[in-house]
Amino acid sequence: MAAELEGSKSLSGLLSGLAQDTFYGHPGITEELLRSQLYPEVSPEEFRPFLAKMKGILKSKFLGLLFSKQVFRSQNLPWIEGVPGLSAALNMSANMENPAVAAGVEKSIASADMDFNQLEAFLTAQTKKQGGITPEQAAVISRFWKSHKTKIRESLMNQSRWDSGLRGLSWRVDGKSQSRHSPQIHTPVAIMELEIGKSGQDLYKSKCKDLYLPVWSLTNGLHLEAPESEFLCLEFDELKVNQVLKKLSEVEESISTLMQPA
Amino acid sequence: MVGSLNRVMEESGEPQLDAKSKVTNQLIDFQWKLGMAVSSDSCRSLKYPYVAVMLKVADHSGQVKNKSFEMTIPQFQNFYRQFKEIAAIIETV
Repeated sequence: MAAELEGSKSLSGLLSGLAQDTFYGHPGITEELLRSQLYPEVSPEEFRPFLAKMKGILKSKFLGLLFSKQVFRSQNLPWIEGVPGLSAALNMSANMENPAVAAGVEKSIASADMDFNQLEAFLTAQTKKQGGITPEQAAVISRFWKSHKTKIRESLMNQSRWDSGLRGLSWRVDGKSQSRHSPQIHTPVAIMELEIGKSGQDLYKSKCKDLYLPVWSLTNGLHLEAPESEFLCLEFDELKVNQVLKKLSEVEESISTLMQPA
Repeated sequence: MVGSLNRVMEESGEPQLDAKSKVTNQLIDFQWKLGMAVSSDSCRSLKYPYVAVMLKVADHSGQVKNKSFEMTIPQFQNFYRQFKEIAAIIETV
């Protein structure tokens, strides 16, 4: 492996670049772009398997961790056991240099039971392998995972979310004691404003389809204005508030019954 | 997430709403669904739970509209918590 590939300096940028396509749904980061910007001294032939290896780690191990039991538990989310057909243990000692294998790994289904220790163990094992990764690279990958996993997870969830989301919520309670039009006394009312809007994903894709993204921007992050939200203003009297509250408690109950005991 | 609805007490006793939303609607119906996204084009192994809500609202002219949106579980829990707060306050007003 070329000396440049063994270094860890450009690896961070490479992982960010790969993450854009793999997780954030932003295509356009080509192999050639990454090579010329981050590893200009390395030939395309040498770069390709290296890229495939890193891509494979990102797609299989990271995905497995994103939706692993540990992540769910740490966010107090329900964990559903045994969803059929989803988990497949990957043999990560497979020859990642082989582009065909790497491509297969990209499309593979990650085991949903991995935790962070397994990532560390996997990375350590890779450092001991012939043609694996260096300890410095393992550290970079580990660091990248720690700092990006929440964003990546949110991005993946967002990409599968096509309905509008709840962007904001504000409310106040008014104690109406009199009204110009009717002599009603003391009818408290809650006024709630919901901000409903689509995720930023669709907007980004159409904006950046033909845009050339400089690699530096990948590590700094890209910010976009959110598309227009709809503001829905609702009025509730006490009765209605309690009716809705009852429904919400039913939702909460449903969520709890899905929680599997450890 | 604090809103910016301003109230003008001196005038009609009806609260003034800011430019963002001029119309207050009544909630006719609240339907919910707890879903689990299992797999998708962008991620084969998702397992991402979400709460989908369908609101039926009527404006002051009586026109009824459906509004739907999704929430992640943490978002839902925040929504629920806010509602509980509202209930507690409206009870004491």
